[in-house]
Amino acid sequence: MSEASPKERIGRFLTGQPIDRIPCVPLILNHAARVLGVKVSEYAANGPTMGAAHVAAYRRYGQDLITIFTDTSIIAEAMGTKLYFPPDDVSRFSEPAVKDPPDADRLPAVDARASGRFGVFLEAIRHCVKEVGDEVFVSCCVPAPFSTAAALRGTSVFARDLYKNRPLAKALLQKATEVTCAFCEAVAEAGGIPVPVDPVASGSVISRKAFEEFALPGLVAVHETIRSLGMPVVLHICGKTSSIVDLMASSGAAVLSLDLISLAEAKEKVGSKVCIMGNVAPTEVMLNGTPESIRAAAAACLRDCAQNPGGFILASGCEIPIETPPANIMALLDSVKEYKLS
Amino acid sequence: MDEEGAVAAAEEALAEGIDAYEAITQGLSKGMEVVSRKYDTGEYFVPEILLCADAMYAAMGVLKPRLKSTGPRDASQVIIGVIEGDIHDIGKNIVKLMLEAAGFEVHDLGNDVPVASFVDKARQVGQGVIAISTLMSTTMPGMGKLVKALEDQGLRKSFRVVIGGGPISQSFAAKIGADAYGANAMDAVRILTAWEEARK
Repeated sequence: MSEASPKERIGRFLTGQPIDRIPCVPLILNHAARVLGVKVSEYAANGPTMGAAHVAAYRRYGQDLITIFTDTSIIAEAMGTKLYFPPDDVSRFSEPAVKDPPDADRLPAVDARASGRFGVFLEAIRHCVKEVGDEVFVSCCVPAPFSTAAALRGTSVFARDLYKNRPLAKALLQKATEVTCAFCEAVAEAGGIPVPVDPVASGSVISRKAFEEFALPGLVAVHETIRSLGMPVVLHICGKTSSIVDLMASSGAAVLSLDLISLAEAKEKVGSKVCIMGNVAPTEVMLNGTPESIRAAAAACLRDCAQNPGGFILASGCEIPIETPPANIMALLDSVKEYKLS
Repeated sequence: MDEEGAVAAAEEALAEGIDAYEAITQGLSKGMEVVSRKYDTGEYFVPEILLCADAMYAAMGVLKPRLKSTGPRDASQVIIGVIEGDIHDIGKNIVKLMLEAAGFEVHDLGNDVPVASFVDKARQVGQGVIAISTLMSTTMPGMGKLVKALEDQGLRKSFRVVIGGGPISQSFAAKIGADAYGANAMDAVRILTAWEEARK
């Protein structure tokens, strides 16, 4: 079989047709700014720059999916949370939209195409689709409601709300869900695939019980919206997921992007239901490793999961750190080319 | 996890004539050991620990003013902070809490702490332990810079350095010349307690 384009490969993969090789998606997010040679803050603030950065990254690496992202607070930002943008590092939380509970009733009306930096992301998607959309699918990471609610309050305040002010927590989750679904529609309209990301709902942070009660309903609603748009759901939750991976698999997701979990365990638990994507360690291996150690880590992932009944995508467990050496990213991509599908 | 309950229990203990120091070491510390265990076994997570921390600090507020001055305690002083460029401080706060519950005197420099602030505090404290945290890979080099700065300022021999946080590993700790890597708060307490015992 001749080398397929990433778009053909992923398209065939998702529709259950034979593919020429295992797909590979290093999570190239803010690192795209490095490829274009712009400051991370310029990348985060400007749609055409963000789009150009991802096009440049795709042209350099040829990965199987473009993944547009700056941080996990973009929905909360559109709802009033303030972020801080260091000149050349990833944006971070600065001031919550809901300092006091009554603020929850005064949140601004959100325009899914214009509030916060929504317009920047939509423009970046359109730019990528125009430039390389015939070769590769363009996705945009969309923070899921639980992580958004945490960013509306500040994570440690929200964590306390789960016990001390449940009505407020639920009200924020409901509002976040509505905005997230509307933004997913806007992403799809621009030609992108919305990819829900829910780092705060990770098993490193909350219990299975809390996940089930607070995080899962929002994910299910967002996933339904994405599926109604005719798109597959790729759900990314970084950190530990051993305690919740079965719930993730029954949330309507087609692909689970996983981080701190053994792929053999994930395959055994949910491999017949979903495609698994993962999980070379971002810092320990991708950033600080060498092409040799990355090949070894990739080989271990492939050994454990390449034969997953629901399919497998080789990926980093979470975002590739900004300063990851390009040779390391190429080593990950090369390892799927060298791997023979039996 | 019950703040009011913890305050009531602390007041009751004092009313019954229990020594405040006893109430802290035999009550609060023991309670936090249970919290540690539940965290280790996956029963408690971040929200549960934060609520326990609130309860512990509330009870501490009742007990502390009643502590008889028993002379300076012998435990090491710990300087803790999140390195410059990172504001994620939940993990650092949990480590601080567990160290305090274990009897260490902790100086918390907060988050986004420049190397120079750690060094200034180290000079002021004189000797002990420096605990540095980060959740972000981009800020990890700051930890190496701090170790280097301690060396340059002649302070390295007076302080042990323990580091931790999401992207940190044993090999990174070795690479930058830190004394230890703490995988989590309980691990940090074990490491510092072992140092403490070796010191005596």
